[in-house]
Amino acid sequence: LTILSLTQRKENSISAIDMPISPREGFLALAIGLMILFGVASTALAGRVSERTHIALAMLAVLTGGFSLLVLFGGLLYGSPIAAVVIVGALIALFKLMNRFEAQRKSKS
Amino acid sequence: VCFVNWWVDGAVIGGLSIGAYVVFCLLGSSGVSPAATKVVAILTMFVNYPHFSATNYRLYQRRENLWQFPVTAIALPVLMLCFVVAALWQPDVIAPYLVTLFLIWSPYHYSGQTVGITMIYARRAGFSFGRWERLALSTLIFSTFVIALVHRQPTDSREFYGIQIPSIPFPAWVETATTTAMSIAVAVFLWFVIDWCWRHRRMLPPIILVPTIAQFTWFIVGAPSGLFYELVPTFHSLQYLYIAWIVQIGVTLGTEGSPRSWRSIGAVTLRWGVCNYVGGILLFIALPAVLFWVNVPVLVVTGIVIAGVNIHHFFVDGVIWKLRDAPANSPLMINIPNLAAAPRLATV
Repeated sequence: LTILSLTQRKENSISAIDMPISPREGFLALAIGLMILFGVASTALAGRVSERTHIALAMLAVLTGGFSLLVLFGGLLYGSPIAAVVIVGALIALFKLMNRFEAQRKSKS
Repeated sequence: VCFVNWWVDGAVIGGLSIGAYVVFCLLGSSGVSPAATKVVAILTMFVNYPHFSATNYRLYQRRENLWQFPVTAIALPVLMLCFVVAALWQPDVIAPYLVTLFLIWSPYHYSGQTVGITMIYARRAGFSFGRWERLALSTLIFSTFVIALVHRQPTDSREFYGIQIPSIPFPAWVETATTTAMSIAVAVFLWFVIDWCWRHRRMLPPIILVPTIAQFTWFIVGAPSGLFYELVPTFHSLQYLYIAWIVQIGVTLGTEGSPRSWRSIGAVTLRWGVCNYVGGILLFIALPAVLFWVNVPVLVVTGIVIAGVNIHHFFVDGVIWKLRDAPANSPLMINIPNLAAAPRLATV
């Protein structure tokens, strides 16, 4: 039984590795790569660029993540009225956030 | 209050669109005929395309602008290129969402511009916008965008340059709730206007209200007319080009020692106009044409490029024309006839 179980696990793991990447997964991989890149850029530029630039890089990561979620769950936008309200609301919040893209922050005074 | 005079400013920032709507009503024309499509296409070439180019011209014309906004100028185009490449790579999976993002963002962006232009004229007139005045105005304007978005969802899916976009099934209460919010915002904003007139013992310059009335015409009363709605991007672009032109004149001729005359204004206008016309052609005709080798229909490639260029524009626009950003402040307070006539009194 142990041998059979080990063989089966090996077969499963091989099939998981061999599983082809779907177009959507391919895009998500690209998006994750971009988000890592923005994080790395922000870290590498620490102390050398303004806070505004760091925030802008973070916003690019937010935009990439937001668009990826739209690609992943966007089908719901066209299928469910409640999901449509939630997704369009989230998009408007994203647009509102992006309005502050690389703009001067208001001073507290 | 006006940059040139009441007639020119009033027409460009909204009067023309309101007039066009009245003409459409009188003619009873609402369908999109082949002749009308031709007119829209010509206007798109001469107004819409240059308006996108004007943003890039403003951002990339000076090296210091690039360093003032490095993420917008350098990192953002790379990200947009990645989105466009992804959509070209998977036109059935990614492209519909890129276009959906652009189609929802577009009227939101128009609304943001309406608020911005209203603020510019209010500032020139001395009408101060406090937190609540701004909230009422923003609620009024952005609710028109939501109403139009909900109202204009077709029953079936639609096509955008060969890319299938299904309709969004909004619940009926969204339109009711947004219309209620808009009505309250109209009442509150009018109360602020009346209060201002009463306290200052004078009428509020009507030019301040023109962009808001135009927005209401675009998205509420004019939205059911298919042809009129097709022209809304042109009206938005016209507003944009006007303000961009003012800024270009201010930046080029507003400095000490610059030659100030109608002739120099004409020369700057001509150079700026030609650059933006060519820039628009490069963005929307040359760029999709360059991608002829991609194994995707040219129409779909064009749709994807349009979405990418538009989303890039929404960002650049938000960055460049921020009123609180010092370099763009002073040109928005100039007066063109003064600039042409009296060098010392050019800036207010």
